[in-house]
Amino acid sequence: MRVLVVEDEADLANAIARGLRREGYAVDVAYDGDEALDKATVNAYDVLCLDLNLPGTDGIEVCRRVRAEQDRGGADPPRVLMLTARDGTRDRVIGLDEGADDYLVKPFDFDELKARIRALLRRDAGRSGAVIQVGDLELDSARHEARRAGRSLPLTPKEFSLLRYFMARAGHVLSQEDLLEHVWDENADPFTNTVRVTVMTLRRKLADAGEGQPIETVVGRGYRLRAEP
Amino acid sequence: MKAPERQAERLPEWMRSIRFRYTLMYSGVLFGLAALVVAALYLILSMSLHGELFGAAQTFCDAFGHCHQVDVFTGRQFEALVHARTLEKLRTLSFDALVVLFFASFAVGWVIAGRVLAPIGRITAVARDIQATDLSRRIRLPGPEDELKQLADTFDAMLARLDAAFAAQQRFVADASHELRNPLAIIRTNIDVAMSDPNADPEELRQAIVVVRRASERMARLVDDLLALARREMPTFEREPVDLGQAVGEASEEFLVPAETRGIVLDRAIAPGVVVIGDRDALKRAVANLLENAVRLGPAGSRIRLAVGSERGRAWVAVSDEGPGIVSDDQAHVFDRFWRADKGRSRADGGTGLGLAIVRQIAQTHGGEVQLQSRLGVGSTFTIWLPVAELPAEPSPRATSATARRQ
Repeated sequence: MRVLVVEDEADLANAIARGLRREGYAVDVAYDGDEALDKATVNAYDVLCLDLNLPGTDGIEVCRRVRAEQDRGGADPPRVLMLTARDGTRDRVIGLDEGADDYLVKPFDFDELKARIRALLRRDAGRSGAVIQVGDLELDSARHEARRAGRSLPLTPKEFSLLRYFMARAGHVLSQEDLLEHVWDENADPFTNTVRVTVMTLRRKLADAGEGQPIETVVGRGYRLRAEP
Repeated sequence: MKAPERQAERLPEWMRSIRFRYTLMYSGVLFGLAALVVAALYLILSMSLHGELFGAAQTFCDAFGHCHQVDVFTGRQFEALVHARTLEKLRTLSFDALVVLFFASFAVGWVIAGRVLAPIGRITAVARDIQATDLSRRIRLPGPEDELKQLADTFDAMLARLDAAFAAQQRFVADASHELRNPLAIIRTNIDVAMSDPNADPEELRQAIVVVRRASERMARLVDDLLALARREMPTFEREPVDLGQAVGEASEEFLVPAETRGIVLDRAIAPGVVVIGDRDALKRAVANLLENAVRLGPAGSRIRLAVGSERGRAWVAVSDEGPGIVSDDQAHVFDRFWRADKGRSRADGGTGLGLAIVRQIAQTHGGEVQLQSRLGVGSTFTIWLPVAELPAEPSPRATSATARRQ
């Protein structure tokens, strides 16, 4: 899952990014509204952590433009979590009206920020709990645990995010580009075989834990997590 | 209005109603005057009638020289009888009329008082309502430009001022909380992230501590400034003769080193013997705020000029820099709280956004003002104008020599 943190306070933006990366998210940072719009146009983000009060183009405007862009392009719009230092009802209403999906007032508990991002991502998957289940696979994004047939999987953060992305889109064919876009951040080199290698190690760990291979290769198109075993 | 008044009539404090007192006075005066007029009429009439009655007894003489007392007794008796009856009738009628007048005057007085006082009731009702709801409402009393309309308009003007002051206060609180929450969020998130990682390496923790320290310093500065603003809103500052040159000289001392490290030359041209009445610390703070901005924004190799002087009974302190300058549209806003010239510049650069607001406030509480001349790309000059103290000539030379020694 890929997150763009838009925040003009560099000390805050970097801390959020560091914390989220440790959770296995691919995180990019933008320090003002224009940079945010540039990045959101180029990359496919799943979640935007957007400060309302930005220098240059402000958060509301970024939110509106990202929505408009997505409406035209038809791609999956990113979920927007507004961060703001103002707690007035008016600001909240404006933020939500302009397309924010959720709202968090500074200063916030980092665990709450993580929980809200998880909740936003679950809305995509149409599920209501922190635990996702596909076949004999079980993934608890709150506890950062993955199990196959009840047995715990020893995954690295990157493998964990990769599995989470597969499980959120079970049954869909996902190309290497899709995976690079949503699981890796902008620092990943698109010309390396990092995606292929990570998928390989993930598949080996899955195979070690149970019967058969749930992630299959669709020749010429990519990978697919079988929705039914 | 009806119900409380009816209630008031039964209660001991019914006399408090202006309407009742007005009615009482009105009917009392009217009744008294009417009674006087009626009584006077009656008296005059009865006296003149009795005079005729007594003058009617006369002696008549005929052509033969025999004088007779004419027997007019029956006529006089008849006349007196008629007069007495008329007077009695007049008495009864007057009395009846006065009774009717008493009640009529009371009723008319009550109605007139009600009519006259109705706008006051309206003003009271709206004022009471505004207390409970919001300050955006106005009385807007219709009618001619009379005393009550003037009263209502005065109320409206006062409400408008209150509304503006209240809105400004709210905006200030919102801005202040916004400015305080950002460093708080930085502190909180950095601590949360550092604590949630059991394997964090020392370098990462050190980094988090440095960030937290930076944010808390910023908060401390902001709290200082907010308190300075709040304190100076109360007119309780010191009033003593202050040698302006000396105070400004002291304030500038602490900027010599920061200016030098940034490669900025600080020129001082301080005229001696300029004395103003005020708070020495506040005046030093105002100058320090101007110098802080100048040092922070001035490019390396530039020059800051600090000057003190007096002119036609007004003392001035000017700080002139060769910084980026301020667009003329923005010049009116630089003294606003939390206003930022460059929207892209974040608070992290050290300014709290309150420095110039404090300068203006200090100037104003000293009966002075602060002016700005600025040209984009050339620089800005801030000038604080203050009234010169009207002192006996005696303390002035000492102050002069003190300043001279400092220079």
